[in-house]
Amino acid sequence: MSESEVALNDQDASTEADLAGAYEEDDDEDAEPITAQKVLEILETAWTNEMCAPELLQHQTDMLELMLSQVAHMEEQMRDLEKNDFRYVVHQMELERIRYIMTSYLRCRLQKIETFTQHILNQEAAREPADKRLSPEEAKFAQEFATHMDEYFHKVATQYMPSQQRGEAEQRIVTPNLMSHVFLKANVAVSGVIVGVDDEEVDLTPGSQHIIPYQLVADLIQKNQAQLI
Amino acid sequence: MSSSNKMFGDKAFDLLKDLKRSSQTIPAFDDDGVRQVLEEIKAIFEENVAQASNYNSSGDRSLWPLLNYRHAALQRNKRCLLAYLYERMQRIKAMRWEFGPIVPDDIKQSLCEPEVQLFNNYSKSLASYMRSVGDGQGIDLTSNLRPPKSLYIEVRCVEDYGKFELDDGEVVHLKKNSQHYMPRAQVETLVRQGILQHIA
Amino acid sequence: MDPSIIEFIGEKCMISIIPNFSNEPLHLIYGSVGPFRAGFPVFVPLWLAAHLRKQQKCRIVPPEWMELETLEEIKEEEKRSKYFTKMPSEHYMVVAQLVMSTSPDDVPRCEELRTVIKDIFDIRESKLRTSIDAFIKGEGTYAKLDNLTLLEIHSVRPILPYSLDHIARYQRMATASQRDTSMLGLNTTGANSGTNSMSNSFFTQ
Repeated sequence: MSESEVALNDQDASTEADLAGAYEEDDDEDAEPITAQKVLEILETAWTNEMCAPELLQHQTDMLELMLSQVAHMEEQMRDLEKNDFRYVVHQMELERIRYIMTSYLRCRLQKIETFTQHILNQEAAREPADKRLSPEEAKFAQEFATHMDEYFHKVATQYMPSQQRGEAEQRIVTPNLMSHVFLKANVAVSGVIVGVDDEEVDLTPGSQHIIPYQLVADLIQKNQAQLI
Repeated sequence: MSSSNKMFGDKAFDLLKDLKRSSQTIPAFDDDGVRQVLEEIKAIFEENVAQASNYNSSGDRSLWPLLNYRHAALQRNKRCLLAYLYERMQRIKAMRWEFGPIVPDDIKQSLCEPEVQLFNNYSKSLASYMRSVGDGQGIDLTSNLRPPKSLYIEVRCVEDYGKFELDDGEVVHLKKNSQHYMPRAQVETLVRQGILQHIA
Repeated sequence: MDPSIIEFIGEKCMISIIPNFSNEPLHLIYGSVGPFRAGFPVFVPLWLAAHLRKQQKCRIVPPEWMELETLEEIKEEEKRSKYFTKMPSEHYMVVAQLVMSTSPDDVPRCEELRTVIKDIFDIRESKLRTSIDAFIKGEGTYAKLDNLTLLEIHSVRPILPYSLDHIARYQRMATASQRDTSMLGLNTTGANSGTNSMSNSFFTQ
């Protein structure tokens, strides 16, 4: 019994080292080693931010890849355990929680991609590679989705409309309401945040909570100075 | 416009109302209704084009309200029609998440040909997206739809069932009104059959 | 956000249990738990505590604040204060509910506790409703919400942001429709001050 537990421990240690290695390859020389725990925290924040933000946020491909391999690795390690072994059950429960976070996160993004397809594609086209919000896989999906949707509307309706009447019907651009109100929690002290149309300013203290139009704090979310709740 | 005593846009509005009111997963595509709306759009448009040139050459301002009115009717028709299609598209997408890549036959009959294609295309795109996530590691987004509660669930036995062997060899006696805490995956069938009842 | 998600997030809270078994530490992805020694308290996430308790592998040690006197004090303080007081846990409702439903036997005076916690929640909810009412009538778009817990924020989530968004939308529409009506007149050069002919835009987009 303790033998496989030891195996699990050893593997855990080496996985964390692997994770650090993988992360360093991607990032520059000054990157700190990252633990699986940290990756999970980043994903959890990305998940809640994504659920609460009206627009699509920056993708987290690197973190997702790391976590997916960590999960696969853990499953591999668990293969030798009995299904009703205490350790098997606990690890399995944790993996279910992590899988839920990852799938819920990606579903949330897909939903935004499907709703604001053309708007997102237009924005992406104007962004530098480093600022892209869609992962390459999402970009492909978005493009295909736009094509299929266009095809459908064209075949069923717009092709039968007088040509001068098609333009706006064919565009169907849906944009998110960036001024919609969100709940925000400050992670660090931020001074001079404009909170109203009349340029009223407020200093945010760490841990403080606010309701505010999203657009006024979008950059704080991006910089992880605050998170949506 | 002799037969135009019915209101402009009525048919288009009906399309939406019928779709909204239907309790089916998706009601049959209203081929006839869509065609009528498109015809109305075309008819209004042509009349307006004719009178607009009249208006432009004569400058007869009395035509102005009529042009405006027709234009609004035309916009409304378009808007309702597109809303109808958009809502159907949403339902078609939802079916992919609910039923998987194969549409049940009875539902397929309610779709028009472009809709079947839309479903198939969406289904393929989604599948290939899910396979490609995480540098090809893949993830199934159609599972883990709800926050996991527990691998185990508490159940109450509704009728005497007798012995039930779990995967690990443990044997549980399922007697009427007895309560058990068992692996969810292994008792799901018994719950569906109504032998066990899931208690919160 | 679905209530089940609020609960899911709350289940990450750490709670003390007294296991009746022994085991080496478990190296979970989010961090290690254990070692487990029969009879000795150990901190684990709430989701794990609930599971072990249902399997009768542990007793849950209710958090310090889940005690009648403490909660009565919190309740009085909440009544006295004009503002929201700081709760002992960011997920006090989720924790209390989960602990009391999975292991009522581990919680002394469980029924009384349930009542006080419900009272506290109700006092705060009614405060919340009053302040929202004032906030909306004051046509505010920003507010500080310190000490509100996630569940409480969630309880106003559909209605508060939604109504603020609507008010903002009406304001924008009011401005836009002023613009629209002035544009409609554009074509009738004589009567209105417009200069540009609009009629073509009816037929080309």
